[in-house]
Amino acid sequence: MTKEELLRSFLEDELFVEKSYLKEGEYKNYRWAAPSKHKLFEVLKTSIEGELSNESPQITEKKINQFLNKQT
Amino acid sequence: MILESIEIANFMCYAGSNKFEFTEGINVIIGDNGYGKSKLFDAFYWVMYNECFDTNKKKFQKSPFLKKLIVSDKAISETKEGIITASVILTFKNLDKGNVYILERNYSVKKEDDILIEDIDSKEVVWQKDLHYLTAKEVTDSEQISRIKKTILPDNIKPYMWFQGEQVESIIDFNKTDTLTQAINVLSNITRYDHIKEISENLKESTTKEFNKKQRDLSSDKDKSSNLELQRNHILDRLKELQKQELQIQDTKATAEEKSEQLLNKISDAQKIKEVEAKRKSIEKNLEETQEEFTEEQKLLHKKLFTNKWVLKGTEKLFVEYSSLYNNYEQTKLKQELTKQARIESENQIMIELHARLPVDVPEPIHLENMLSNEHCLVCDREAPLGSDAYIKIKELLDRSKTKVKSIESEDSNIHDFGADLRKLYQNGLGLSHNIKNIDDDITSTFRRLRKLDKKRKTLTDDLNAIESEINSLIVDTALNVHQANDLLNQYNAQNELAKRAITQENSTANEILKRKQELQQLDIELGRLVSGEIPAYLIEKLKVVEEFNTLAHSTRRRVFDSLVKILETEANQHYQLMTQGNMSARGIIKLKELNSGKNYMPELTDENGNVLMQLNTGNIILIKLATIMAIISARQGSRDTDLYTLITDAPMSVFGEDYTIGFCKTVSNVYRQSIIMSKEFYKNMELRNQLLTNPDIKLGKVYLITPSIPENSRANRNQLSTNIQALN
Repeated sequence: MTKEELLRSFLEDELFVEKSYLKEGEYKNYRWAAPSKHKLFEVLKTSIEGELSNESPQITEKKINQFLNKQT
Repeated sequence: MILESIEIANFMCYAGSNKFEFTEGINVIIGDNGYGKSKLFDAFYWVMYNECFDTNKKKFQKSPFLKKLIVSDKAISETKEGIITASVILTFKNLDKGNVYILERNYSVKKEDDILIEDIDSKEVVWQKDLHYLTAKEVTDSEQISRIKKTILPDNIKPYMWFQGEQVESIIDFNKTDTLTQAINVLSNITRYDHIKEISENLKESTTKEFNKKQRDLSSDKDKSSNLELQRNHILDRLKELQKQELQIQDTKATAEEKSEQLLNKISDAQKIKEVEAKRKSIEKNLEETQEEFTEEQKLLHKKLFTNKWVLKGTEKLFVEYSSLYNNYEQTKLKQELTKQARIESENQIMIELHARLPVDVPEPIHLENMLSNEHCLVCDREAPLGSDAYIKIKELLDRSKTKVKSIESEDSNIHDFGADLRKLYQNGLGLSHNIKNIDDDITSTFRRLRKLDKKRKTLTDDLNAIESEINSLIVDTALNVHQANDLLNQYNAQNELAKRAITQENSTANEILKRKQELQQLDIELGRLVSGEIPAYLIEKLKVVEEFNTLAHSTRRRVFDSLVKILETEANQHYQLMTQGNMSARGIIKLKELNSGKNYMPELTDENGNVLMQLNTGNIILIKLATIMAIISARQGSRDTDLYTLITDAPMSVFGEDYTIGFCKTVSNVYRQSIIMSKEFYKNMELRNQLLTNPDIKLGKVYLITPSIPENSRANRNQLSTNIQALN
């Protein structure tokens, strides 16, 4: 299972349409490299990358925390 | 990975050197019971795991427990002195990676002066070679050997790829809570979703803590905030506790419901057995009572001869005769008494007259006695000889002094009067004569009652026999005895009761959870109100993102898992339909029923309307399980698992009828790139064997026929036993 397939399986969730992060059916053609429309996309990608590279959960959590703590 | 060959030397019944070569598709080894199929399966298993399946103990045993049993008896018997080695070599070819793995296991015994010295354990040798080179390199590193073996067959796949027919039941065990879920976990990427879900949980927890701390720091009333925070933590702890409790209750409920459903299959049988048994007991009791009544009535029959005066039966004539005689007697007696009365009255009259002529005792009796003794009357001074009139007259005078006036009573005072006795007899007879009239009716009624009781007794005996025969048939048909049926009903009721209780507890827990959540919301509002400054925007956003991430991770995991179950269900049905094609009576759709709130899924057979089909036989159940096992493998097609590993199974078809054999082979050859099946089904049934060899829908590999070297009746002497291998294609 590629990281893109894994990502799409998450993007298929109705939450993305409900929150208007994605349009209906948009997940099908979503590319890994596509610019993130919301921080949730980045969080998801980081966790998928961590999982597929057998990274320890603590490292992945740290990366996500660092990303979300950025005060932009 | 393709298993290219197995070379067997002096291993169990495979004496001497033997070799089977295999190709892609379904490879079949045909042999009757006891011809060496299971030993061949043991050979595969032994090389990989140093274990053989002990059919008696129903478990695998390591070589140190088997020792000389591993070595062929014939090989031992034919060797006078020296070492005898049993060895099995498996050659695997990995075409994709261009590798060849050769795995050998051997075990030796030494014979010295007819004494057998056994090695402690077997030895393993592994070679690896490049497909394009001739020479192989021995692998000595145990970790590398372990890696090679895992490449050949990972441990988590092993139960679904290498199994004995009799193990099918346990691979998907209806009683184990998570067998199918484990299989899904093993053969899918679901663990990736589990890991991401775990990350989301941790992030949510840490971010919530961070947010709460910030709230506290910005509080206008720090004491109150701390206090509220404390309450909040208590509620959170309680909520965790309640949620855990809720899961436990749901588990209990699901387990109870599952057990109830499992029992439901047999519950109607058990109920019927119970009802019939109750009926039997009632008949038995009734029969006992009737028998007692009958016996009592028979005893009374003899007593009634006297108590009910049956002994007088036929004496009516005697009574009539006696009445007549008694009547005559009474009349005669009356007449005699009248005559006697008349005579006495006449005698008394004479005496009275005499008294008037001469007073009594004149002359005095003493003188009268003298006169009689002297035969001379002194009154008239004349002779009175004995017997003369004068003498008689003198005597009358003497007797007159002794004579009194007679009455009829004084006359008879010395004679017993039987009149009263005879009258009593008459009166008794008169009383009995009324009973005699009723004796016939009494006897008739008594015997009618006896006959009725006897008839009832016989009917009840027949009923009892019939019902006992019904119970016996039920016991045979349902494989349940009366005791087991009662146990089953008790268990069923207990499980239902448990499920009911769990539902009540579940509702009450759910209510409390709701209440606590409302309290938590209220506390959050209060804590929010106390915040005097501004919580940083990044933190608010962070909390929102991690909460969404957590929701997403949960729902995606659930959706992916559900879809895997659906795929599995579809695949299982395809295999089931294909396997059951040959049998027109087979029907039903496999449904994977969710148990324990998604913790487990169990296969069940339903009709088109979704109604569960009960009363499945063992063959059906095994077919469903095999279809599900194949589904687990075939659902992974494309992920290369099925291409990588070889299915090796001994007698998987033995529990279902021959109607399914060809369907099974077609399915197996479609699902697995390579399979090796040991089967007896094709041994005697030549038509089936021809179908196997010619059916275009079966992707056939090699087919072998194995037979023992000595006839069946001589097989007790295993010192001559070897196995003949004949290639059929």
